[in-house]
Amino acid sequence: MKTWHWIALGVVFVISLILEFFFMEIKSPHWWNSIPAFYAIWGFLGTVAIIYISKWLGKLFIFRDEDYYDA
Amino acid sequence: MMLELLTVPAVILILGAFLLPLIPERIRSSAFIVFPLVALGVLWSLPEGSLIQVPFASYELHLLTVDSLSRIFGTIFVMITIIGGVYAFHIKDLGQQTSALAYAGGALGVTFAGDFFTLFFFWEIMAAASTYLIWARRTKESDKAGMRYVLVHIFGGGLLFSGILMHLNNGGSFLIENLEQTYSISNIFILLGVGLNSAIPPLHAWLADAYPKATITGAVFMSAFTTKSAVYILIRLFPGWDILVYWGVAMALYGVVYAVLVNDIREILAYHIVSQVGYMVAGVGIGTEMAINGTTAHAFSHILYKSLLFMGAGAVIHATGKSKLTELGGFAKKMPVVVGLYMIGAFSISGFPFFNGFISKSMVVSAAGYAHFETVMLLLILASVGTFLHTGLKLPYFTWFGEKKSEFDVGKVPLNMKIAMGMGAFFCTLFGVYPALLYNYLPYAVDYHPYTIYHFVEMMQILVFTFIGFWLLRKKLEGTPTIAVDTDWFYRKPADAVRYVFVSIPNRFYGWAENSALASAEKLSGVSKNPLKYILPSFATEGREVQSDGFSAGIGAALAFILFGFLVAGIATLM
Repeated sequence: MKTWHWIALGVVFVISLILEFFFMEIKSPHWWNSIPAFYAIWGFLGTVAIIYISKWLGKLFIFRDEDYYDA
Repeated sequence: MMLELLTVPAVILILGAFLLPLIPERIRSSAFIVFPLVALGVLWSLPEGSLIQVPFASYELHLLTVDSLSRIFGTIFVMITIIGGVYAFHIKDLGQQTSALAYAGGALGVTFAGDFFTLFFFWEIMAAASTYLIWARRTKESDKAGMRYVLVHIFGGGLLFSGILMHLNNGGSFLIENLEQTYSISNIFILLGVGLNSAIPPLHAWLADAYPKATITGAVFMSAFTTKSAVYILIRLFPGWDILVYWGVAMALYGVVYAVLVNDIREILAYHIVSQVGYMVAGVGIGTEMAINGTTAHAFSHILYKSLLFMGAGAVIHATGKSKLTELGGFAKKMPVVVGLYMIGAFSISGFPFFNGFISKSMVVSAAGYAHFETVMLLLILASVGTFLHTGLKLPYFTWFGEKKSEFDVGKVPLNMKIAMGMGAFFCTLFGVYPALLYNYLPYAVDYHPYTIYHFVEMMQILVFTFIGFWLLRKKLEGTPTIAVDTDWFYRKPADAVRYVFVSIPNRFYGWAENSALASAEKLSGVSKNPLKYILPSFATEGREVQSDGFSAGIGAALAFILFGFLVAGIATLM
């Protein structure tokens, strides 16, 4: 990724923070609304968790050789 | 009566399937598209209510029951038949064309069925017709996969039909109505039968097994009809059944986990059908008006973007002959149009603002929030992280952008395939920009606005940070030359053992029994050549052998007399 890609992502994130802190109204409140930038945290942790947990499960019992069913 | 039947959309398409072989080959592909167009026109001109009843034994079949829910599902099924017809325009395989039309007809029949028998009839047409779309690939793998697919669906149909019969036997309604939430045997059987077609784990493995092996064009139809018509039936029968909430969430995450592990591009998409249908199943379980609207809207959106994604993956396979992440890569510049259109589908499924996933998925998720299923809501958002991660990032990155992993030529993609993708992309964007076009036709009045600052913030933050997470960990997501075992293991791996116990052993036993019976018969016949030799050896050892084929006149007369006796006795008994 080039530097400007990271800058673009940063700009989008900053815009989202500005919207969150100054303009956002919450119609149906949930416990996580009090955590700032919760969806960013959830998105990032979610990605990491999905990748690591799936790979772990995969190695545990899901991965097999491609000819597993033919052998 | 016959003319009335022609107003049943399913009949129009199935009639089309019968007429196609009579149409000259050069206009057959155009004719394929005419039938769904006619069905679309008919569908929107029908009034609401149960329009056609046909007596059947002591029942009355309701072939055409129209309301807003069936109309919106019918519309999307017809739309995708048209788009799929354009995508398959270059195909000259009559079998695939007829079975695709019959398959679509089955889905429409299920949608407008007012009673259980009509439902079951079209349900089975779908299973049979779709199987051919797998077999038409004509590889050893697709032959076997098609056989597994049809067996699993026969099993599912059996569950459904047993459930229906028990339901009727218990005095249940013959018409398709909401079932009361009690876990009676009949309800459980119906739920399992419909659940199998909705690909609810552990009854889902047929989907990820068969779709990647179907023909390029066939998979587009398959991605649309089977699971979504089952979701439609879930809405009809099981709205508000709590178990579906948790099952749906589990499904949404299950698909995500497997999508990390698999290597075949259409298998990744197939597991994301499981995941996306999870939202719909959860929506049915929540059962509020908003949730049912959300489920319907999401099924509508899903069919559009998922078929677009399958068309993109199909274009890759058509052009390169390869389907595995570990063999693709580095040719985005050679098919920019396909990549661009695929990405519109990927943005849609990931819930980017201004695409149709945003306006439907958020509705289901919000419905969970309003109904105070907070954990459910968070987990559905987590599943949507996974959706963007795989369909929006992993698949396109390793297919088109990452380094080239094997040698292959990139052939041309037919124009009609690109046009069909363009149509899909157009509708994905159209409904994203003007959600009212869809919202106005949902089963309940919609009081929901997707374009709020809250949703923008939510999606912007999730998407940006999913992207960052992907970029940092992308090495981990690289495909591996492996397969992922799923619940199909239970009927695939032990197949040899099952065959041994139930086929080979009985076979061998019967073989042995047959041989010994023949051998003893042979021995006995040896004995009967001259029984006296054994009974009175001293008498028979000398003199001539008995000639069994030469009778004396006396014996002939005796036999005739005995036969005559039987005849008289027979006639006497009859009198």
